[in-house]
Amino acid sequence: MIRMIMSRFLIKSAWIAVACLAAVSTGCVPNPSAEFAWRDSTTDLIKDARSSLQNTVNENFGTPDDLVAWERLPVNYGGIKGTVAAAPEGTELTPGEFAFSHEGEGEVKPGDTVLWLSGEMAGKEATIQSADAATHLISLKAGTAPAEGTTFAVNFGDQLQLGRMVYMKNCLHCHGVAGDGAGPTAQYLNPRPRDYRLGVFKFTETLATERVTRDDLWRVIKYGIPGTYMPSFLLLDDHETTAVVEYVRWLAMRGELEKRLGDELTDYSQTSLTDQYNKAVESKKAAEAAGDKPEAVPSMSSLRNTAKDDFKEYAESDYADTVDSTADFIAENWTRADDPASVIHPAVARVADTPESRARGRLLYLSDRTKCYTCHGNTGRGNGGATEDFWPKPGSTEKYDARGLHDVWGNPLQPRNLRLGQYRGGRRPVDVFRRIYAGIKGTPMPAFGGTVLKDEEVWDVVNYVMSLPFESDASPSPAPSTKMAAHPVQ
Amino acid sequence: MRNAAVGKFWAIFFTAVAVLAVAVCVVAPDYGWWFPGDGRAHSTLGQKIDDLFYLILVIVAVTFIGVNAALGYILWHGASLPSDKKALFSHGSHALEVIWTIVPAGILLFIALYQMDVWAQYRIKNFYPKTMEPVAEVTARQFEWRIRYPARGKKLMPTPQPDDVYTVNDLRVPTGHPVSISLRSDDVQHSFFVPELRVKQDAVPGLVIPVWWEMTDIGSFELVCAELCGWGHYKMKARVVAMSDEDFEAWKSQAAQEQFYDGVSTKDGELVSQSEQE
Repeated sequence: MIRMIMSRFLIKSAWIAVACLAAVSTGCVPNPSAEFAWRDSTTDLIKDARSSLQNTVNENFGTPDDLVAWERLPVNYGGIKGTVAAAPEGTELTPGEFAFSHEGEGEVKPGDTVLWLSGEMAGKEATIQSADAATHLISLKAGTAPAEGTTFAVNFGDQLQLGRMVYMKNCLHCHGVAGDGAGPTAQYLNPRPRDYRLGVFKFTETLATERVTRDDLWRVIKYGIPGTYMPSFLLLDDHETTAVVEYVRWLAMRGELEKRLGDELTDYSQTSLTDQYNKAVESKKAAEAAGDKPEAVPSMSSLRNTAKDDFKEYAESDYADTVDSTADFIAENWTRADDPASVIHPAVARVADTPESRARGRLLYLSDRTKCYTCHGNTGRGNGGATEDFWPKPGSTEKYDARGLHDVWGNPLQPRNLRLGQYRGGRRPVDVFRRIYAGIKGTPMPAFGGTVLKDEEVWDVVNYVMSLPFESDASPSPAPSTKMAAHPVQ
Repeated sequence: MRNAAVGKFWAIFFTAVAVLAVAVCVVAPDYGWWFPGDGRAHSTLGQKIDDLFYLILVIVAVTFIGVNAALGYILWHGASLPSDKKALFSHGSHALEVIWTIVPAGILLFIALYQMDVWAQYRIKNFYPKTMEPVAEVTARQFEWRIRYPARGKKLMPTPQPDDVYTVNDLRVPTGHPVSISLRSDDVQHSFFVPELRVKQDAVPGLVIPVWWEMTDIGSFELVCAELCGWGHYKMKARVVAMSDEDFEAWKSQAAQEQFYDGVSTKDGELVSQSEQE
């Protein structure tokens, strides 16, 4: 009897074990492959336009698992670039052997891949059998070496791939696979993580019209952004940081290309078709009301067919040029950002941080030349009158639902409370100078440098603003100060 | 006869398990299965904590080996008895019960009293070193460590000062004399844990908790958060860099200089770009 109970018990336990194993193993399915999500404006396009745009972006950027390095973009994809050199005198080279010279650091190792960048074999790859750093000779596993002067890259794209790895590990869960600021944890954060796809970054050292520099991104990754959820990644290796900076720039360029091409194609979107249809219906109604002979309303499908035909024509005539000029535009802008001429350097050293300078800064702060107080408030608490208004959306007369300021990403934005001593873009005086000089990109903070304020005056404002966290007698009462702000001269 | 063989097998088996456990323990430090880093504590108090740990380890090891040797012997002895011999059965021995109650109680009481000194030095203000240098205020927040130092030659104040020096995820401390930090939290509960110093202290919102230690070596040590503080807990890592007094002061001057950089610092009257300066 006991034996029977025991065996039943054993059978039961065996079943439980099998069930547990099954449960565990189903939890072990491989992750779904990562995908770059498309903008809503892209998925809104009619089928032909959408697939053209998606093909263009995919051809030039690839997918997260299969990156494409587009040479015309100013991205440092990594790898060693070299040139096939003349054979050294007195050396007999086999067909697969060649001498080379290379730029920059790095070592060519057996098993590495060579990508020919010029000559007859441009775009083709070969594997290295052996490489000698001393004699500068490479021999290939198969095939013949190209002519002297051919340029090549070894392990081209290494840096971008490392960047992707670092990004996937540390950045993706907030900033999203495509850098759209919509990762799984993004919804819990305020402020929202940056969406790179406009090519706009807030805290830069460049002029108001320029994009972000590599140095800026480097600093943000190393030191984080206090007051937001962007933490410091100080302990990443320098080469990892460099790589992830390139990857973020690359994602931003990808997003920009998609956005700009999408903007060119808005005529071929569902929204545009619906608009046309609604307009036709309305004009028909108006005509009927006026007693005129109404025009027939075209059906949605005929509108779609017209758009399809129009796009076909556009695709054959102009699309390639549009892609070309957009890519040029993006490449030029990103190249210019890293030009030293784009970086703001104050014309004069910091004006001595004296009570007089602060007083001058305070008057400027409260003046109608700068209107700082309208957003940051009379006492610098970030509670100016502008935070109580309803503001129109950019490029339209429609207003935001919520009171207060918004950034170009459509998120509500609090003007900074200057009394917290928290400096998101860095606390060095030059950082604050640049914030005032060039404004904060993507936000209503305007640029004052060069036009409204002289550099000395910007420094006065910097001195005043940086003294605010240590000022104890600020009147917090808003009512009388609003009156004062209206007549700053009296 | 067969029963005797089975009994001896189990005697050997259980003894072997114990021997294996001891052997693994003995080779563990060589394979890096022991304490983090090089296995030593790099703070004075950490070394005392390690001493306590090793004391307990010795007590436990002697007990473990003794118990297992006795167990092995009894199993072997029982298996060697002729099969017709009746097993000895005993129930209760007052003397034995008293012994194995009093001996462990005595050991526990000894440990409780012996460790009080270290505990007091670690946690009770009156037993802190008489002179110690408050080096920085460390503020934990999701998911990083923000650190504020007083300017060179000044004392750490409870509130921020205009000339304070700031770092993030990078705590610099001088070596060779006691230092302390003021530990705070900006948001939720965190825990300041430097395994190689054997220092661990929760950071509690609303409290400023002093934590002290004395570095014995120059070097860089990992600082991690040891209290699950949110989804980014795993990445809340920083470093504690122990420097000589001179290096620490020099570093602080340089950090202050970088922090008050105005973008114009001139070199031979020409503008120096940021990257060149750094």
